[in-house]
Amino acid sequence: MSDNRQQYEDRLLEAALREKLGGRRPPDLTERVLAATGESSPQHVELATRSRLRLRMTALIAVSTCLLVAVGSVTSMRSAWPIGNRSATQERILAQGQSLPAPQYGSDDVEYFAPGPDFKLQREVARGKEASQLIAQNNLKQVEVALTTEVQNQDRALARLYTGERHAFSLERARVPDSGLMTVTPRIVVEGEVEPAFGDYYDGEPPVYYKRWATLGLQRQKLEELDALARAAESDPEKGIELREKLTELQEAIRQDQGRGPGEGGDKHQRIVENQFLSALDNPLSTFSIDVDTASYSKTRMYLLEHRMLPPPDAVRIEELVNYFDYDYDGPADEHPFAARLETAQCPWNSKHRLVRIALKGREIEEKRPASNLVFLLDVSGSMDEPNKLPLVQKGMSMLVRQLGENDRVAIVVYAGAAGLVLPTTPGSDQPAILEAIQRLHAGGSTNGGEGLHLAYQTALDHFIAGGVNRVILCTDGDFNVGVTSPGEITRLAEENAKAGVYLSILGFGMGNHNDALLEEVSKKANGNYAFIDTPAEARKVLVEQMNGTLVTIAKDVKIQVEFNPAQVAAYRLVGYENRILAAEDFNDDTKDAGEIGAGHTVTALYEIVPVAGEKPQAAPAEGAEAATPPAVDDLRYQSTRQLTEDTNSGELLTLKLRYKNPDAQTSTLMTMPLAKSDVRFSAASRDFQFAASVAAFGMILRDSQFKGDVTLDAVQEIAESSQGEDRNGYRDEFVELVKAAKELGAR
Amino acid sequence: VSTTITPPRLTAAELVQRHQAAVWRYLRYLGCSEPQADDLAQETFLAVLEKPFEQRCKEATAAYLRTVARNRFLAVVRKEKNGPTAGDLELAEEVWSQTAGAGTDDYLDSLDDCLADLAQRARRAIELRYRDDRSRRDIAAELEMTEEGVKTLLRRTRDALRACVERKVKGRLPTN
Repeated sequence: MSDNRQQYEDRLLEAALREKLGGRRPPDLTERVLAATGESSPQHVELATRSRLRLRMTALIAVSTCLLVAVGSVTSMRSAWPIGNRSATQERILAQGQSLPAPQYGSDDVEYFAPGPDFKLQREVARGKEASQLIAQNNLKQVEVALTTEVQNQDRALARLYTGERHAFSLERARVPDSGLMTVTPRIVVEGEVEPAFGDYYDGEPPVYYKRWATLGLQRQKLEELDALARAAESDPEKGIELREKLTELQEAIRQDQGRGPGEGGDKHQRIVENQFLSALDNPLSTFSIDVDTASYSKTRMYLLEHRMLPPPDAVRIEELVNYFDYDYDGPADEHPFAARLETAQCPWNSKHRLVRIALKGREIEEKRPASNLVFLLDVSGSMDEPNKLPLVQKGMSMLVRQLGENDRVAIVVYAGAAGLVLPTTPGSDQPAILEAIQRLHAGGSTNGGEGLHLAYQTALDHFIAGGVNRVILCTDGDFNVGVTSPGEITRLAEENAKAGVYLSILGFGMGNHNDALLEEVSKKANGNYAFIDTPAEARKVLVEQMNGTLVTIAKDVKIQVEFNPAQVAAYRLVGYENRILAAEDFNDDTKDAGEIGAGHTVTALYEIVPVAGEKPQAAPAEGAEAATPPAVDDLRYQSTRQLTEDTNSGELLTLKLRYKNPDAQTSTLMTMPLAKSDVRFSAASRDFQFAASVAAFGMILRDSQFKGDVTLDAVQEIAESSQGEDRNGYRDEFVELVKAAKELGAR
Repeated sequence: VSTTITPPRLTAAELVQRHQAAVWRYLRYLGCSEPQADDLAQETFLAVLEKPFEQRCKEATAAYLRTVARNRFLAVVRKEKNGPTAGDLELAEEVWSQTAGAGTDDYLDSLDDCLADLAQRARRAIELRYRDDRSRRDIAAELEMTEEGVKTLLRRTRDALRACVERKVKGRLPTN
């Protein structure tokens, strides 16, 4: 050993001497490295650092020292996910013909990141070299960065939308000498070979993207036009600008294009029809079910920060955006499992209106978490074989499993072509066995979600813990494409089991094939919650920080009914919760299902209110409110209208009624509280009120809501920044990043 | 005066510019050829830039880069039969962090000072060997010594230099 030591000491000195005396200076690799990362100009370097903020958080959570980061990253670089037959440590571990990652990944505490399919260093380097040569030849030091990024976004969006099984659509980019512009040529790639763009080149059934183009109203001429434009742009920068405009239009068209049928690629979102203003005289009652899902927020984040495009409007569910954040509401001090608070202030997007906030806070679990019987139901179909899907599922599960103890039980059911139990129910204290099973998962085959769901529920029922947490945790990219496919049947199955006490949590992963509509529907019916996991940080938030909220339901079928006082309120509008609206009579109907609230969860709902001008209920609507106030309904011929009671003069704006059931109860409990009128300005409202309002306004901008009034992203940013408060986890800070990203992407 | 200074986050270009010399030297020290050191240094930075990390301080970043570089190198030499083992490289890292860990520039500056203090003959031998890349036999002829003598002279001079540099590097630490 000491010989070796001597040898290295010598070598260090010799290398230094050679450099000092022999002039063997280290080379300057800056250009080379930056070219290989695609960061060829200084502006671009800044672009990259901006998006790092979020990733930095990931890193922060992941490690306690720099060195640990080093270890984590290094292991990831060396391919934590088996590619070919090499495992992370280059040791080969073969089991049933499958090569597996080394077992220490099951037990180590270090975060690692599975490399993406594009993480092929050699290819990167080659591409970098090519690029730097191109730059050298054309003497193009400056490439217009904004355009490059934009074109990249187009490229990604298109490739994602039009990737059929065998065909991929791509835009080929080339630099235009001396103009600082890029040309873009649309191309079709068929199994790795580039086909000439847009000729009569195929027989039989046209590929999927072609149909898609047709539905977008972009016929072949249009494509040829684009193609010609791209060619012209090679010599004429003006054409480049025109091309860019055309592509922006195209992106907008894609963004608006929603709701694909079965069998077609792309994310599926249910269309959201925004709540309208309703007259308090004609519709005094507003009833809805609470929603603690947060999926829409992480999805929006993924669109904005990762794909750098605006989310499709129907992917934005405002209540999920608002409920993503923790608010500092007081918990219950009485026998109820949660507390409700009301607050009102001026509406930030329409100064003539008022905003009312309903804030619920579930009780925190003080004593030990009840014993948990968890069944993971994992989608391991072929589509999950992407770095932000199965590896992220495994990471998230490992995080959760590490929190479990001897009273807890875990089983794992997978489904692909066929469903199977890969880990029979195992005590939470036997972590190695569970973690090993998690690490051994691999993706392949098509999805038979229905069968898997049956098996998972059966497993959960077999090991039911009375008085404990019994939950199936479904991890999927959301397409149940074999077997019980009908959403109706799946939701029915989930609903039945919820009645038997087995609840469902849905964790959505990945984009491009994500059936958001189905997952949201299933979670709504199944006494469940639905989160979308886009990063390890998000997995940690849902499965570790808010584990109790995710797992432990403290009240179910929580319904809200608000009665508005027509003496004070001319019209009202519920912001968000579009797919949670209930009929007024459902409120007292205990057989009607509604949302659940988990331990420590906060739920926020906002009403925009048009106050009555003057004190008379029948008076004309307040000035400026005409557009918002719905026309009055004719008087009925056979019935007299309801009489106003004396309480209309109470000065109250509204009365809030809440109904909930304890987790194992069949009958509901009622809570009631009134809200008095007030003239609080927005700036005098509580910090959380302001922040929630800014998030709602952001959602309205992204949805391009007709009710967004005069709010701008600048205003949203200003409110959000000034009302961040302590922001322990950095989530609010991240929200500001989202707003900035939306601003850059041209949202208005 | 003690104030806490949060180091500014470096951009990719700054990171490369600040640390590339040390990474390259480190790779050469581990046993890379010059072109190999170029390639692995580039790979190291690419890998590090790919996954953003927390930049705490210069030393920690340097240590991180070394770890990445070392693992890259290890992946390359693992296939070689008589190449260094992971244990060897760990030892190499230990040696490096003890002597040049504070920064390769410090080390080289110290070496400058120490070279100036050398006796005429010893300095000549060192220059012939490391500046002109001459063989031991050439040096023996030039200095009118036996080859064995040259070997001993070089070894002793290196020992002296190493001791001197170590002292100087340690001396630099408190002031810098």
